[in-house]
Amino acid sequence: MTNTIKRGVTAYSYNKEFGLTMNLDDIMRDISDTGAKGIEILANSHIPEYPYVSDEWIEKWKRSLNKYGLEPAEYAQWVDSREYAGRELSTQESIDILERDFKLAHKMGFKILRTKLGVIDDTLTPVKNWPDFIKGALELAEEYDVYMCPEIHSPSLLDSKMVWDYCNFIEKEGTDRFGLNVDFSLFQEGKNALVGYDDGFPHPDQEHSPVSDFEQFIKYTIICHAKFMKVDENFREVVIPYNKIMALLRKHNWGGWMISEYEGAKADVPGHTSEQIKRHQIMLKKLLGE
Amino acid sequence: MLEKDLIQARGFKNTVSEDGTVTGFQVRVRLVYYRGIWLSQIRPGSVFVDGEEYKPDQIKWKFGNKVYSVDELSQTGDIMWNLLEPATLFVVKPGGLSMGYHDVKVDYLFSSSYMPPVIDTLISETTTGDHKRKLLLVE
Repeated sequence: MTNTIKRGVTAYSYNKEFGLTMNLDDIMRDISDTGAKGIEILANSHIPEYPYVSDEWIEKWKRSLNKYGLEPAEYAQWVDSREYAGRELSTQESIDILERDFKLAHKMGFKILRTKLGVIDDTLTPVKNWPDFIKGALELAEEYDVYMCPEIHSPSLLDSKMVWDYCNFIEKEGTDRFGLNVDFSLFQEGKNALVGYDDGFPHPDQEHSPVSDFEQFIKYTIICHAKFMKVDENFREVVIPYNKIMALLRKHNWGGWMISEYEGAKADVPGHTSEQIKRHQIMLKKLLGE
Repeated sequence: MLEKDLIQARGFKNTVSEDGTVTGFQVRVRLVYYRGIWLSQIRPGSVFVDGEEYKPDQIKWKFGNKVYSVDELSQTGDIMWNLLEPATLFVVKPGGLSMGYHDVKVDYLFSSSYMPPVIDTLISETTTGDHKRKLLLVE
């Protein structure tokens, strides 16, 4: 059986317009216009009463999904380890934060969580107690039917100790409730100058992973962030090698959500992100043969 | 809707107590970031008006219907500063500000746990640090 790659879009893409020229309803309409079926939201950003959400709001959310023909694809959450100045969150505090999100994500219909962990150094090594609180949350994840996925994102490299630590954890615990969110920023080949960034922020030119490194991690990959910086008028991403990435995923019959995430220049120009999302979705449709 | 600038012109006015005394002024600021943050993540700074500094302990922050001192902010880890709702800063200044234009500068930072600790507040320095706006006050 062929696994299906499903197209989605993250509401994060529109962050420079959110609250100024677009609300969540506008974002959902924009996504539905592309035929994408999945939406990612950021708990901290797009849930107005977070973390104490009323049943009325949940009902409103479900009506909106229905109206725009969208499925809840991914729910971004954070364990903000340095939430309080001068100390790190304890293991139990971290589990409690995870559980609070599991409950809410479950109510909103999400199964896949982008679980962002705090880091302790320049190479983005996660906090030391991550295996303790992730392990401590595995049963809860089962109970609420959710999957925790740390995002592997540039400047991290895919074939690195951090990622192997995650994969070894998965093997050791024999769990499928923890897996990778692979962000395609990892595979950037072209220079930032090509996408219109001149100050090097937020993605300075640096070492990236070759697409071939992805092969050994595909079995641990639950969801993909189809990161893009610029899609040109011919519907080609100018710095990220989508042809190679897609060919590899198809070779391994990978199935799951592929979430368009725009992180390019001019995101504060009204309408620019919407157009880029459309171009990117056209590119994905072509690559997927839709 | 939000105003694009971090410092919101809407809501800039003097504050008056129940007995009619002008106790200070208020100014609203929005969270210029892509995600909401816990109140304890805020690293409050000073407010400057026409060059005069009002230090964090002279300022209270209002979120929703609740007013917090900076000490209270640092201990509040389960209330989120929502992106769509500017915070109202209440600044103590007996007599308030005069009618007319004022150069207002606001400083606040916040911590981001997924950034290396040595640059904990770097993201916020580029987005929310050192903001200035000329505002007009009526009363």
